[in-house]
Amino acid sequence: MRDWSALVERRLAGLALEPEERAEVIAEVAAHLEDTWEAMLRQGMTEEEVVRRTLSQAGDWRELQRKILGAKRREQIMEKRIRQLWIPGFLTLILSMLFLTTLYRLGLRARLVWSGPNAILLYTPWLAGLPFFGALGAYISSRAGGSRGTMLFVSVFPAIALTFAFLFMFPFSMTVELIVGRPVDFSRVATVLLKDGIGWLLIPAAALLAGGLLAHVLSGALPSSRHTAIG
Amino acid sequence: MVAPGIKRGTAELAVLSVLEDGPLHGYEMARRIEEQTHGSLRFTLASLYPLLYRLEKRGWVRGAWETSGTGRRRRCYRLTAEGKKKLAPIRREWAELFRALRRLTKVSRA
Repeated sequence: MRDWSALVERRLAGLALEPEERAEVIAEVAAHLEDTWEAMLRQGMTEEEVVRRTLSQAGDWRELQRKILGAKRREQIMEKRIRQLWIPGFLTLILSMLFLTTLYRLGLRARLVWSGPNAILLYTPWLAGLPFFGALGAYISSRAGGSRGTMLFVSVFPAIALTFAFLFMFPFSMTVELIVGRPVDFSRVATVLLKDGIGWLLIPAAALLAGGLLAHVLSGALPSSRHTAIG
Repeated sequence: MVAPGIKRGTAELAVLSVLEDGPLHGYEMARRIEEQTHGSLRFTLASLYPLLYRLEKRGWVRGAWETSGTGRRRRCYRLTAEGKKKLAPIRREWAELFRALRRLTKVSRA
């Protein structure tokens, strides 16, 4: 009896899957070769011919390895991206928005910082809580095996989502105002965009990132050295 | 033998169809397909297992290790309810294609 498992193990040495999954693939392919070998032996072929024909079943081992990896990992990458990036990202966004709504309902309002034309509206209580949400998102991503880059991206995800909302909202509202025939002062819009951008996007992003960095430092070793980096 | 380019598209239908009759492991699946198509469709390891893994990820088939009477462990695949549901439209598409090709080749010969 030939040791087909050892042969397949050698030929598929570069099969970069999780150990358990890799062992299953090797056992399955080895079982297929064993069945082929036995069926050919029953037909009365010589040992040499049987081995040659059995191995021809595999064809190009590198191609087999590449195809198996392609079939197994494409979905794995998607799953990892969902677990490491999208779920923690949207969770951070939802929680930070819920926090903002709660503060607003409690009667806490945004305040103007500085005076005169350079005054910026800041929602200080919200900003104070954002590092916690940034840290939470980064921690969840890290637990799911997210790389350092993914962790930090997740921590600032609410700010990125708000940026997209802002970028969409201003041209949309300007178009509506043009359609209804109200005059649009572009310099005023640009000033508002800049000031709101600082107060609602840049500073919150910095607060979230501070939390993300803190979570990264506290999580110790770089997760990217243990897992495949995605995102 | 069918050319590889044509065979590639039929592989999914062949595997799902042969599993409709009951659970099979990889070797047995390949053997039955070859037998039932009189050798026109032959699967190599590189064409069979990546396809089975893709179908499994989609939830169309489910693989599980089973021990036979002789004590051998083989990974047997079963068609899932979702796989059964997918098989019907795939069959219709292929039937449509064959009808179209038959019509086309008759026109060409005339």
